[in-house]
Amino acid sequence: MTNIELNSNQQNRTLTQWLFNPFQFIAGGNALLAGLAIMLASAYLGSLSNSHFDGVLDLHIGKAAPLWIFLAEVVIDWLCISITLLIAGFIVSRTSFRIVDVFGTQALARAPYLLSILVLMPKGFIRFTKYLVSKLTQQVPMEAIKNTDVLFFAAGVIVAILMIVWMIALIYRAYTVSCNTKGGKAIGSFIAALIVAEILSKIAILTMWQLAL
Amino acid sequence: MKKLPSICPACQSQLNIKKLSCQKCSTEIEGLFELPSLAKLSGEDQEFVVQFVKCSGSLKEMARLQKLSYPTVRNRLDGIIEQIKPVENQE
Repeated sequence: MTNIELNSNQQNRTLTQWLFNPFQFIAGGNALLAGLAIMLASAYLGSLSNSHFDGVLDLHIGKAAPLWIFLAEVVIDWLCISITLLIAGFIVSRTSFRIVDVFGTQALARAPYLLSILVLMPKGFIRFTKYLVSKLTQQVPMEAIKNTDVLFFAAGVIVAILMIVWMIALIYRAYTVSCNTKGGKAIGSFIAALIVAEILSKIAILTMWQLAL
Repeated sequence: MKKLPSICPACQSQLNIKKLSCQKCSTEIEGLFELPSLAKLSGEDQEFVVQFVKCSGSLKEMARLQKLSYPTVRNRLDGIIEQIKPVENQE
């Protein structure tokens, strides 16, 4: 193998590691700061296209709302997943770990949602979503759709699904690195914590909406 | 001088020391001696322990030098501790 090939392989490996396990390079306070910046940006961009993070793994186009609602949604999602995984870590992990690593890496693990928001922002995607909703609710569509709208919608849905898969992979990696969990126990506790976090976040966000209205 | 192997290349079992010799006077001692706990670790793990001692036991400094996150270095150390514990219990 030549030096160029070796360097190329090393770069590929590093890129893969950065994409799927960045937490072996960044954690703690740095990850927390980067994650909070990403969450703020996601909430702001979400408010522009009315994209709501209404659950740990949810992203839906919905009602217009003040910016603080979008901010509260991302914070609730982050707190729910971080706290449930922290508890799972305390139960499963045989070693000690830092709480800031759990919260920091979980904040950074939400980065794929920022990219999802960008894909859901084009007007074509929003028009087609509204068109589908009006069809489903048997109402007359408010706005005519263009031929290209379906392409924006299809591309948006595919990218959003890929981003959810990527985010779940990142959340899992963040959990195993920050809590030092491995094997079957790590997978089992992760799935249980993810389900609990999803339910908790849904309840918390619904309650917030009811109080806000 | 060659590096001391700790695992048998044929059956992957733990190796012991059978013979020791003095380089100065060529005295040889034969018997069955167990490797010290740290010598039973893999070469990479031994290198990690040496680096850790050089960093005065600071995981933060280790993480900075190796350009890795704190929990990654901490997990590596915990893995080494897990390997050493059963060996010490046997002793």
